[in-house]
Amino acid sequence: MATLRNLPRWLLGAGLLLAFDLAGRSLSAAFSLPVPGPVLGMLLLLLALMIYGRVPRGLAEVGGQVLRLLILIFLPATVGIYFLRDLSGGDWAALAIAMFFGTLISFTLTALVLNRLIQRTAARQRREQDVE
Amino acid sequence: MWSEWQRWLDQLHQVFADFAAPLSTAHPLVVLPLNCLGFWIGLKVYRRVGSPLLHPVAGGSLLIFAALVLLGVDFTGYQRGSGLLYLLLGPAVVALAIPLRQNLAVIREVGWPLMLGLLVGAVLAPLVAVVIALLLGASQTVLIALSTKSVTAPVALALAQEIDGIQSLAAGVVAFTGIIGAVLGPSLLRRLNLTDERVVGFTLGINAHAIGTVRALEISALCGAFSALAMGLCGALTALVLPLLVT
Repeated sequence: MATLRNLPRWLLGAGLLLAFDLAGRSLSAAFSLPVPGPVLGMLLLLLALMIYGRVPRGLAEVGGQVLRLLILIFLPATVGIYFLRDLSGGDWAALAIAMFFGTLISFTLTALVLNRLIQRTAARQRREQDVE
Repeated sequence: MWSEWQRWLDQLHQVFADFAAPLSTAHPLVVLPLNCLGFWIGLKVYRRVGSPLLHPVAGGSLLIFAALVLLGVDFTGYQRGSGLLYLLLGPAVVALAIPLRQNLAVIREVGWPLMLGLLVGAVLAPLVAVVIALLLGASQTVLIALSTKSVTAPVALALAQEIDGIQSLAAGVVAFTGIIGAVLGPSLLRRLNLTDERVVGFTLGINAHAIGTVRALEISALCGAFSALAMGLCGALTALVLPLLVT
């Protein structure tokens, strides 16, 4: 019974996600923008939520559910990698090496840069507090 | 404007038509439960074993592939049967706006150092991989798929469509990048004495997206929040900039 009473709220949430998806796609197609429609929809929704001031309950619930099922939603596309036959052996090797070492290198570099930036800002804030 | 609505309705109609088709091994009533089962078993095994190597993205998809081979279903049939899930891909990307909105206060608090770090990370992650592949003489298909490696899968799929990459290749690259980052990343940082949970979380979000965020949540809630934030921002940033660079 409680589920039935929540239904309109959930439908509203799901409807909002779909509406912003379609709005983003329409906008992207109408102005032939290079940004994917759904991503544009995401930015539009973020803007709308900032203006609205809070996340409607139904949208938060449906959105949370969708995000929990994210892996299931993109499983069909992931399975596709096992069906790839048109890559040469050299391409496979290059892909594997680039993924493995590329990820480890960029992972380390990103963390080092980030750590440096955060520490520098913290140090500056401390100096400013000392001056005061 | 209306053409997009029309296209969506056509897609929906196609899904219903596939449901009404006579039962076969590639029928949605076979393929959809198979997807759910693969996801569910993958999740169970992952939670039981706790190794990111068996993350549902890796374990689940492998299980489904094995089942498809046993049933003799080809990829086209499988894709048709999964039509309902493809329909959800767009709304799922839109839903990423919700955690972004909820983390807005955190973004303002940490301010510019993180935004600058995000910019550097978002550029570095695909660039390093593309340069390595370029040096190894990879084809353009591989290079385009690698260029989407730092964004979470739903965004990468939308991007790959936009810049004519192969969608499954992009999804595979994103999944394997996430697994490598989540499995080896945190211990690598510990060895470098980088233990600030904000840094670890943010780095995981940029370089290992959804899988990294799951891993970050296991470290701490703070780590997870920063990872989710970085994943969303990095996805939006790459999605905005990459098509401009490629075209």
